[in-house]
Amino acid sequence: MDLSTLTNWLQAGVRLAAPLVLTSIGSVYNERVGIINISIEGSMLVGALAAVAGTLITGNVVIGTICALAAGGLLAVVHAYLTVARNTSHLVSGLALNFLALGATNMGFALLFPTERARVATYPVLGPPELRSVPFFGPVVFNQAVIVWIALILPFVSSWVLYRTSWGLNIRAVGEDPHAVASAGLSVFWPKFVAVVFSGVCAGLGGSALALTDLGYFAPNMTGGRAFVVLAANVVGKWNPIMVAASCLLYGAADALQLRIQTFGSPIPYQFFLMLPYLVTVAALAGFVGRVAVPKTLGEPYDPEAI
Amino acid sequence: MRAYVNERGRIGLSGLRELVLSGTGPILGVGLALVVSAGLILARGVNPLVAYAAMLEGAFGSVAALANTGVRAAPIILSGFAVGLGYKAGLWNIGGTGQIYLGATTATIVGIIPLPVPAWIHLLIAVMAGFVGGALWMFVPAYLCAYRGVNLVCTTLMLDYVAGFFVSWLLHEPSPLAEKGATFPMSPLILPSARLPILMEGTSLHAGFVLAVVLGVVLHFVLHSTTFGFRTRMVGKSPEAARYAGIDVVRWILLVLLICGGLAGLAGAGEVLGLKLRLFDYFEGFVGFEGLALAILVEGNPLGMILAGIFFGSLKAGAGKMQIVTGIGTPMALVIEALAVLFVVAIGFGQRGGVAQPARKKMRGEKR
Repeated sequence: MDLSTLTNWLQAGVRLAAPLVLTSIGSVYNERVGIINISIEGSMLVGALAAVAGTLITGNVVIGTICALAAGGLLAVVHAYLTVARNTSHLVSGLALNFLALGATNMGFALLFPTERARVATYPVLGPPELRSVPFFGPVVFNQAVIVWIALILPFVSSWVLYRTSWGLNIRAVGEDPHAVASAGLSVFWPKFVAVVFSGVCAGLGGSALALTDLGYFAPNMTGGRAFVVLAANVVGKWNPIMVAASCLLYGAADALQLRIQTFGSPIPYQFFLMLPYLVTVAALAGFVGRVAVPKTLGEPYDPEAI
Repeated sequence: MRAYVNERGRIGLSGLRELVLSGTGPILGVGLALVVSAGLILARGVNPLVAYAAMLEGAFGSVAALANTGVRAAPIILSGFAVGLGYKAGLWNIGGTGQIYLGATTATIVGIIPLPVPAWIHLLIAVMAGFVGGALWMFVPAYLCAYRGVNLVCTTLMLDYVAGFFVSWLLHEPSPLAEKGATFPMSPLILPSARLPILMEGTSLHAGFVLAVVLGVVLHFVLHSTTFGFRTRMVGKSPEAARYAGIDVVRWILLVLLICGGLAGLAGAGEVLGLKLRLFDYFEGFVGFEGLALAILVEGNPLGMILAGIFFGSLKAGAGKMQIVTGIGTPMALVIEALAVLFVVAIGFGQRGGVAQPARKKMRGEKR
């Protein structure tokens, strides 16, 4: 493999990973507070549609992105209400919301584009031309849409917040031992609620990255289970924002490789690379890839009365 | 859903009482979902009564409509059982999609090979192959859940996608299962001897629907009137008590999960042997997830799942007619289903299902 092929592949890999990385930022938080949120798949989907719709109507990518954040967050508010306030099953609520998002976006899509599929503006590439022409790093890092840069920076910010601020300490404590948090006189409810809504907002941003990087259009069910890859990345990256983002980047690279194999052919079937993230996750869960460090109260209802 | 004492002679009655009691939640949820959806339809500038009337006509208005409802209900009901049985044992099988794919694959493999046996035996073997395929796909998650305490939800969810890609690989050209020179990835045609019989002349209603209804009734009696059912529900309610009563909980979980996988496999086999007659790339649609919604809606009650499954099937069948009459798209069916589940959960009827969770956690913790 020569340098240009490698550069080309990694450029696509980073680009394809950006929606996953952005979604993973919030997903780490909601898992850290002990709430399973599989409705991030739905948040991504409504985020993608909202981004396209907002951009179509206003012609402004920034407003489209804000619509995506709001739409993704709104879906997560329902999940937060059902799981945090009402203590219902995280799985059931998340599944129903995914379903709702799937149906609603299909209908919204038909409403927005009754006949033809219009393309809307996409995220601009802001890298200065001198940097873009640097070999390897130019295309891989600088010749990327601005949303990809955000995806590359946010994991570090997220990690700093989680491990170096009192907010982060609060978030981690709520998931590990909510009773200790409560006995310290702090709220258990709000960190959980906010973290879940935040995960939806991030997933909305991830959805907008999916729709508005290069593509500029929405397709029904365009997320196709990408958020589940993020959930998988949480397991493989052991709920550490940077490690999870790194796993997402690996998945992006696998995805890009798969697309290349589909085009150019190879003895290994391309479907194998599509399966790989999911298989690695099952192996990680089974304990074949190091110890699994699940947040202690993940998926459990919080009962203030119980000891 | 309360833990009934299995009194001799009153076993069947307790099951019926459960059905009536658990009926209020889903009906209320569905009612609210229809009201909210009516609002959505109204927002599109269409009279919701006209839309629902079209839907009713499309689902029940003629023989063809009824057949269509049955055809769409059959796989949803079967994949609902795959979730519902696990639910009774306190287990969440959300891998219906994967098990449907694999069940369809094994049924197809048997269905395209000419066997020197009478037609009904060929069909029987093909259907059984579907069951085995689904159960095999469940084996790894079931083993990991039962023996190593690995979260079943995560593993089954991941394997759903693996199955989709695996089947896709099987249907692309170098593979022996791929139809040669086809424009779309698909398997060769199922042989006539392995096809499920058509129930109504001129429609596509196949025996898979009967299979689903019969299995539902059987499952109801198995759950409520046999030792197997009693033990399964006991494992779901209180693994501790089950262990105390001498049940090998770990092996029981493995057994129940394998049966769950097999039931989903039957859904896949029915689709291929009765309706599609070929294995197609990504043919499954959302049947696996609809089965999940079904089981949640009626808390895994088999008879309830038959009724709710027919309702879901009628939504899907009626949505087509609604689109023709009002222009509102078929995804409306998905929206109504999702809203029904959300309302049932939000009202709190679904909460009782969560009761068994802490007990299960304790059990898993002990095994580590």
